[in-house]
Amino acid sequence: MPLLSNKVITEVLYWVTRKKWLILAFALSIILFYVPSPEGLTPEGHRTLIIAVTALILIVGEVISLPAVGILILVMEVLLGLDTSDGVASSFMNDAVFFIMGSLMLAVAFVKQGWDSRIALGIIRLTGNKTRNIVFGFTAISALLSSFIGEHTVAALMLPLAMTLIRNTSKDHERVRELAAVLLFSIAYGSLIGSIGTPSGGGRNAILITYLQLFDVSISYIGWMKMVYPLVLLQIPILTILILTSFKPEYKQLDTGVRKLVVEVAKSGEMTGRATLAILIFLLVFAGWVFLSESLGLGTIALMGVFLYLVTGLVRWEDINRNTHWGVIILFGSTISLGSYIKSTGAALWLANHLISITGSEMDAFPIFTDAIIVVLTASLANILSSSATVAVLSPITLNMAADPLHVGMVTAIASSFGYFTAVAAPACTIVYSSGMIRAKDFLRAGWKVGLASTALLLIYANTYWLIFK
Amino acid sequence: MKFLIAIGSKEYSGPTLKLGMRVARAFGADVTIAYVGEKISSFSTSEVLMAQENLDNWEVNRRGVDVLEWAYKILKDQKYIEVEKLDEGIGENSLVQTDDDRCEVFLKGTQSDEVKLILRNGEIISQLRGEVSRSEIDITIIGGSQKRRMAHNLIQYIDSSIFVVNKYDLNQKYKILIAVDDSPNTRKAVKYGTRVSQAFNVPVEMITVSKKDQFGDGYTSAANWAKKFLRRSNILFGHQFLVGDPVQVIYEVAGDNHIIVMGSSTQNPLLKFFKGSKPLNVMETCKCPILIVK
Repeated sequence: MPLLSNKVITEVLYWVTRKKWLILAFALSIILFYVPSPEGLTPEGHRTLIIAVTALILIVGEVISLPAVGILILVMEVLLGLDTSDGVASSFMNDAVFFIMGSLMLAVAFVKQGWDSRIALGIIRLTGNKTRNIVFGFTAISALLSSFIGEHTVAALMLPLAMTLIRNTSKDHERVRELAAVLLFSIAYGSLIGSIGTPSGGGRNAILITYLQLFDVSISYIGWMKMVYPLVLLQIPILTILILTSFKPEYKQLDTGVRKLVVEVAKSGEMTGRATLAILIFLLVFAGWVFLSESLGLGTIALMGVFLYLVTGLVRWEDINRNTHWGVIILFGSTISLGSYIKSTGAALWLANHLISITGSEMDAFPIFTDAIIVVLTASLANILSSSATVAVLSPITLNMAADPLHVGMVTAIASSFGYFTAVAAPACTIVYSSGMIRAKDFLRAGWKVGLASTALLLIYANTYWLIFK
Repeated sequence: MKFLIAIGSKEYSGPTLKLGMRVARAFGADVTIAYVGEKISSFSTSEVLMAQENLDNWEVNRRGVDVLEWAYKILKDQKYIEVEKLDEGIGENSLVQTDDDRCEVFLKGTQSDEVKLILRNGEIISQLRGEVSRSEIDITIIGGSQKRRMAHNLIQYIDSSIFVVNKYDLNQKYKILIAVDDSPNTRKAVKYGTRVSQAFNVPVEMITVSKKDQFGDGYTSAANWAKKFLRRSNILFGHQFLVGDPVQVIYEVAGDNHIIVMGSSTQNPLLKFFKGSKPLNVMETCKCPILIVK
């Protein structure tokens, strides 16, 4: 009788096959633990980087659930002696986490209001039936909306509009493959370029504001918009052109699709009192972000908005509970906590100095080099992680890479939205990909052009237009 | 018996579904037809769910429903299902969500009690394992995969017999080739091969292959048992003892016009993991469908 049956060995092998990244992460963390700390790096900084490497492998490998990674980060912070349990707990929760939590809940509230049909009518009235005009309309509306309510909300709202247009144009997927691509990428990429427009456009923006405060730098809602919104507006026409040159839609006009869409939208009827109230609450939240965010914080205002939607019965807690990814909130809280230790233990400075030393004196002579390194590093990580996690982990390092933390911080936040290359890079990309109308390789087909254009534009923009703020 | 047919797309899964249903009919088996959609990034599961709920409000089908609709049409056209209730197609509203990543629709089969269409999302091996375990599947039917590791994992980790519909031409007449040796699964392989032969009304060729010139008792007694079984089942058959590398011999005999039936390897899973196994090598080498019986 063998010690272990073939069935047991098979099960163990299956587990090992699936969890190889987990095994690798733990093995590597143990090895790194016993490696002497490099010169210039404190023992605490060394241990912080071990946690960062472990977490990075686990997140990219997706071998355990995201909240499990988040919990592991917190536990390791205590076990490796970075702080006491109370200290780690207080680093876990702050306004950025409040904002991420609030914005995820607000997204559910917004999507439940049926605003999509109003948006559809608005776009069609503005653009008419021509495909290229509709693509511009989708890009512009996605960008403008996402700058205030976040990319994932906009993608969820806009997807049915695009799908209805596509389905009503032809039921045969093969005959509308390119049309589907232009419409869906205009939503995904439009949402991404817009999400940097204001602090409320995405969790990463709130995370950066929190980190900037550690460097004694503050920026108001309007101040952020002044710095970044022109870039959003500049990118809209460029993005439209790049999408239309990457894919050749089979139909120049969408007469049938538009006509049927208008008929479907008409079924939703006139604006009701509920719809008006929902818009009023959003305007209140927006006003709060603009005028009160410096004193109350973006997160508290977002939570106030959630409270108002709940008490007025515009959204049910059951819907919020079902559609909010609580695990992501735990993970983001943990990565922000980790980011704060990366800074406080000196690991950020040590890494930043090493990065600077790669280019040496050229960096001082041409600050655009620093920006370029940050953009490449941030965009690469954002395409395999998520934009918020990227900013949470990278910002403490990049903020040390130049004398002006605001400049490099904003470059980091903006570059983290360049999730153009993969279907998993950003929720907006995953949402349009989940429609089944576009293929994974389509992201590269359009993404490399948009990525190059966005990078070039950001480098020029940051080193010219931002000079007036100095 | 219970069969699971895994389909991936309208473009490539036609032969898998059609051959799978013919074989299932031969066995009078209940059938589950599964479409496994790609795994969604963990960062975006809630957002995608929210978007899908919004699509439902607009009566736009979510990913994979169109593939199930296509499968439904084939089942209906070939009279595998009774269609009084769902004559217009399955539609998203007929799908019942049974888990976060699984929904299903029940159909009444003409040859068996039930035919299920299911939609799953996630990593394919894990999802198929889950379905095999949940529905107590006897045979899993999959299309040929170009990815060696994928095929290896399917054969090694799915706890049912596997029928790989590799390069199957719907217009070609196939014979059954059963590889008989001293492995414990040979008898079951002979029984399964016989059923398929009866269903397709084609003769069976059996081969017993040894690397050495001599055939041991295990080989000869297995061959004798198989011949006796086929005679009793009134199947037209032939049998040969052949010498050579089993994979190469099976490849040469099978050509492109046989459905190969053989027992799964019983060697240590660790060895299979690193070195592969005879059925896996046969599957990779041969240009025809193969049923690996566990």
